[in-house]
Amino acid sequence: MKRTFASASILAVLFSTAAWAEPICNNDLRILAQPRDGLTLLEEYVDEFEELSGAGFEIDYLNENDRRAKSQADASTVGSYDVYYVDEANLPLFASSGWIVPLDGYYPSEYDYEDFDAGMRTVASYEGKQWFAPIQGGGDLLVWRTDLLEAAGIAPPTTWEEYTAAVAALHDPSKGIYGVALRGQRGSGANVWRWLPLFAANGGKWVDESGAFAFNSEAAVKATEEYLALFKYSAPGTQTGSFDESTGAFRSGKVALIIESAPLGAMSKDPSQSQVVDVVAFAPPPTPLPGSGYAHGFAIASKANPDDAEKACAGLFVAWSTSKEQEARRLAKGQPGELTRKSTYESPEYVATFGENLSVAMAATGAKTEVLFWQDPRWQELGNAWGILLEELITGSRTDVKGALNELDTFAKSL
Amino acid sequence: MRQRTALPYLFLGPALVVLVILAAVPTIYAVNISLQNRTLSAPDADYVWFANYLRLFSDDRFLNALWVSLKWELLTVSATMVVGIGLALAMFEAANARWRAILCLLFIIPVLLPRVCAAFVWKFSFHPLYGATTWPVRALTGETPDLLATPWGAMLAVAFVDVWQWGLFFAVIILKLLESLPPQPIEAARIDRAKGWEIHSFITLPMLKLPLISLVLVKAIESLRSFDLVYVMTRGGPGISTETLDMYAYSQGFIEAGNISYASSMAVIMMVLTVVMFTTIWKRVQK
Repeated sequence: MKRTFASASILAVLFSTAAWAEPICNNDLRILAQPRDGLTLLEEYVDEFEELSGAGFEIDYLNENDRRAKSQADASTVGSYDVYYVDEANLPLFASSGWIVPLDGYYPSEYDYEDFDAGMRTVASYEGKQWFAPIQGGGDLLVWRTDLLEAAGIAPPTTWEEYTAAVAALHDPSKGIYGVALRGQRGSGANVWRWLPLFAANGGKWVDESGAFAFNSEAAVKATEEYLALFKYSAPGTQTGSFDESTGAFRSGKVALIIESAPLGAMSKDPSQSQVVDVVAFAPPPTPLPGSGYAHGFAIASKANPDDAEKACAGLFVAWSTSKEQEARRLAKGQPGELTRKSTYESPEYVATFGENLSVAMAATGAKTEVLFWQDPRWQELGNAWGILLEELITGSRTDVKGALNELDTFAKSL
Repeated sequence: MRQRTALPYLFLGPALVVLVILAAVPTIYAVNISLQNRTLSAPDADYVWFANYLRLFSDDRFLNALWVSLKWELLTVSATMVVGIGLALAMFEAANARWRAILCLLFIIPVLLPRVCAAFVWKFSFHPLYGATTWPVRALTGETPDLLATPWGAMLAVAFVDVWQWGLFFAVIILKLLESLPPQPIEAARIDRAKGWEIHSFITLPMLKLPLISLVLVKAIESLRSFDLVYVMTRGGPGISTETLDMYAYSQGFIEAGNISYASSMAVIMMVLTVVMFTTIWKRVQK
């Protein structure tokens, strides 16, 4: 019954959408993306887009690093793609280089951009404009094993001090349980990403009001020392691992508490990906940690769409592919990692699939989500340089935190 | 007479055209780019001539990558040859024809695996919590050794996978070379009661000197292209302890900075070093 209702709703919205739309595309669109279950599902509906716009689309997939490299190379030279898959790390570069155009004017208002999660909208903005429609993203969630906390008589932590105390108390390698799982692998989107909330919570800033580098501070030293101290309780394999390794350790039941990017919430409630489905609970990150906002999404390429009509066509694809209807299909197919809309988190279908606790946590964490990285085209270079130094500190190749920050400061000034 | 002298060019012509298109064009393009200040984020670029090359020699990460590449070459080439020769001699001495055929088939399988697949399989196998390789240590001591989290552990783990692929393959080649040797010198040595190690040290391996040196050169060139293995297993880490030249060039060109001119200058340096080094070695061997 529920499925019938959902299907009827999708069809009703689609017909109403098709009723107002005029075919505005002349040629099939070329999209460059990275593999996502939701996009594979989207390809099954190419006829629907063709009916709506007058043209089809073709998606080329590359994994994250290769997609970033290829899209940079393509956008700066031939511009053969109509729509690029961009993310928080390369948005400033794409936007400031003029490789993509703002959505305003090309994203049909009927598709309700304001419905996207507030944190993801923040990440998709640069210099006051919205540049992409999210496909995936979010802030952070505190996720914990209810059975372990209850057995130890520990209440779910609400502050950083309570969190670190709970991690230490629940760490018991002899029983195969580790207090926490962090990210150690070098990279602006890997170890640096999990370090950023601590840096912000300690009052750290990348640049000051005058635009000068200000990260080499007491806040950075304190954040780094706290991060390194917590690594004593991190599951083996995470010292050089990233999201996959840390969340994998949690989902296999080896970890008591974890603060990770929001997709972990639904992943840990999915029986095909998690062994802790029935003993897991969620909340926004403990105070004073903000959530490290990230988002990936589709943006309109400028070079391949030289005139307004072509930009409008690409804009229609961006809106259609990230619409409420597509999201409903992803939810119905059990693709929890690619849900981006507030209306989805609050829907009865979402609550029925993932439980009310996750629904409430997802809605609440948006308010704590911030852009914590430096929104500048030079961020990838700076973030990756810090990632290397941080990995050396984590694995013990070096021990001098202040020395590492001084080195980063020298590097930053050479950019 | 004129027709006879033109004939070689006729045969060589198509191959040379293909070679020029496939090798010379990208090489010239890379050299040209390396003399500019081109980045992926800017459509325009100026000629800065040798500025990128001069910058390389004050770049600690580049110097580290050179050192890592040298260590990687020495480690993987010598280990591959030791494993290849050792296994080939063992098969030659101890296995009958049927077992040799079976073992050769098994030893060829690793090199047939794409490097990326091999890297993923072994990376998981080295995982401290779930890996098959680390299981005995976990079972016996309760410890969870994380090989990839230490500089030398990571280097040895990646080198192990490289040797697993190429050492076993080389064992098959060397066995076939041993089988192709004339039997008389070996039989004569056996009649003179020479021991097994003496036969191989003084007769078979010296007879195979040139093919073995060729294998060393092939492996040395192959080891320079270790990018896929390093990228999947360690990404150059921990820190920059396994960051080889090709890995650093890729990072500079695409992952981190989009400095494709700077990355090209590294590629050109690598090419020049490789050509000079291997030509010198090859000429010395042929004397």
